[in-house]
Amino acid sequence: MRAMVIDDSRAMRMILKRIVTKLNFDAVEAGDGKEALDLLLEMPEVPDLALIDWNMPNMNGLEFVTHVRADPRLREMTLVMVTTESEQSQIVRALAAGAHEYVIKPFTEGAMIEKLALLGLVPTGANS
Amino acid sequence: MSVEVEVNEDDLAEMVDQVWESYLDPEGINPFIPTYDENQPSEVHSSVSISGSWTGHLVYACSTLAARRAAAAFLAMEPDEVSEDDLSDVLGELANIVGGNVKAMLPPGALLSLPQVALAPESTARYPNTERIGGVYGVWEGEPVSISMWQSRAVKNEEESK
Amino acid sequence: MTLSQAEFTYVSTLVRKEASIVLAPGKEYLVEARLIPVARAVGAANVNEFLAELQRRPNPAHQRRIIDALTTNETSWFRDREPFLALTDVVLPELIKSRSAARKIRIWSAASSSGQEAYSLAITMQENLPPGWTYEIMGTDISTEMVKRAEAAEYSQVEINRGLPAQQLVQYFERAGAHWRITAQLRKNVSFRLMNLTAPLPAMQPFDIVFLRNVLIYFDVATKRTVLQNAAKLLRPDGWLFLGAAETTIGIDDNYERVAAGRTSAYRVRNGAPAGALRRG
Repeated sequence: MRAMVIDDSRAMRMILKRIVTKLNFDAVEAGDGKEALDLLLEMPEVPDLALIDWNMPNMNGLEFVTHVRADPRLREMTLVMVTTESEQSQIVRALAAGAHEYVIKPFTEGAMIEKLALLGLVPTGANS
Repeated sequence: MSVEVEVNEDDLAEMVDQVWESYLDPEGINPFIPTYDENQPSEVHSSVSISGSWTGHLVYACSTLAARRAAAAFLAMEPDEVSEDDLSDVLGELANIVGGNVKAMLPPGALLSLPQVALAPESTARYPNTERIGGVYGVWEGEPVSISMWQSRAVKNEEESK
Repeated sequence: MTLSQAEFTYVSTLVRKEASIVLAPGKEYLVEARLIPVARAVGAANVNEFLAELQRRPNPAHQRRIIDALTTNETSWFRDREPFLALTDVVLPELIKSRSAARKIRIWSAASSSGQEAYSLAITMQENLPPGWTYEIMGTDISTEMVKRAEAAEYSQVEINRGLPAQQLVQYFERAGAHWRITAQLRKNVSFRLMNLTAPLPAMQPFDIVFLRNVLIYFDVATKRTVLQNAAKLLRPDGWLFLGAAETTIGIDDNYERVAAGRTSAYRVRNGAPAGALRRG
């Protein structure tokens, strides 16, 4: 399976890449929403999963989600917001825009794996 | 201004614990140890600005060694392999994480800026017209680390005159 | 300053006794870091002095602060997932037929700790019972501290990240400062009380579903048998018992039989199950 990790912090991308790589995903990185969309155009196969920060330069995560949801080619991609935005209203906005799940920073590795398990992307109990 | 009521130092301390548990000390071996010394020195710092229902900055400040260790923990490398870019990146993300959580405790309508990093101590000269209203001060493996909130004076005066 | 072995032992004994939580050795620094704010708040010069005074003169309020500072429970919501899927796929459809007169489901979350399991059950009922049905969930725990925490229904950001779908976070929780609190709508169906599972249990209305998960593993065989016998008395004859994945009644209490429930197993009192239930083992 393939995952795309979208965050303007290289350190956060590293943390997320380490987790999804452990779960046997091949991971690609993008530093903002625009870069991620450009990368998606070049990729022969659509990733199964995208982990998406909210606050990023050029194109933020919410705009990225909106773009992806409007593109039938990307319909199968599971979208998970991974962000420090943690007001209830923001979570509602992201879900309404088409995000499937929402992880609030800071998150532990175990918590991230549990969220991916909810989406059927990890065999149950893989984190225990 | 009501931020003292909305975000207290216990809340900040809890967030700090959660950041350590998540990224800097997942095994619970090298925790952040509070010292309550608000005059402890720093060498580098990062900040995010919050504007709207409260206006000010959330500042993460520490020694260069503490910043190197933080970067090493995030990037899974040795502290002496950490570049200046790595250091900036991790400091920025730490301010972003704490700042975002602080913003969520404020009245609705606050906005968070992208992080800014300075490889220099935090000071009032860098944040003119602000006042440090609270923070969490401590050491991590013996190195100073602090997270503090700096409130803009302009907003404070406006609020007080209401 | 570092905690001495004796100080660490004092603290870990207190936490084990009052909250049934074991502090792993090697966490001395973490324990110290968490106690510094407590010592400061009660006006002690440092943690060593705070603990010395507490050992000379036990102070329940101060002990409670220690327990509070050291026992962030990170139980997951919908822990292990499968038992909750079994409820929606197998157990509730059957109970909805057999309880159509009373239209009420009673569930016991035994050893409920900080309440995540009880509230996960409440969310499951909220979303899967037909209109007009009601439910009651009782959580019980041996720790006064945990009962209080479960009743408060407030969880930290880190606790909220553990296995809780975002949709349910926005639907059943509201922000409370740095924390998230379960909404009143859900809280009103859930209660908590102090209970020791190994002692004779108080008389109560029986339950349709009992979650007794990851509790038996801590007991020897004789105690396991006592707990299972106690639970059987509070389980309706056609009720369902769920144990942890690593637990079983087999070889301990033959009054139960294991039955398939979705992709997991549940236990039912022998001869109590209605005809047609899937059986195994």
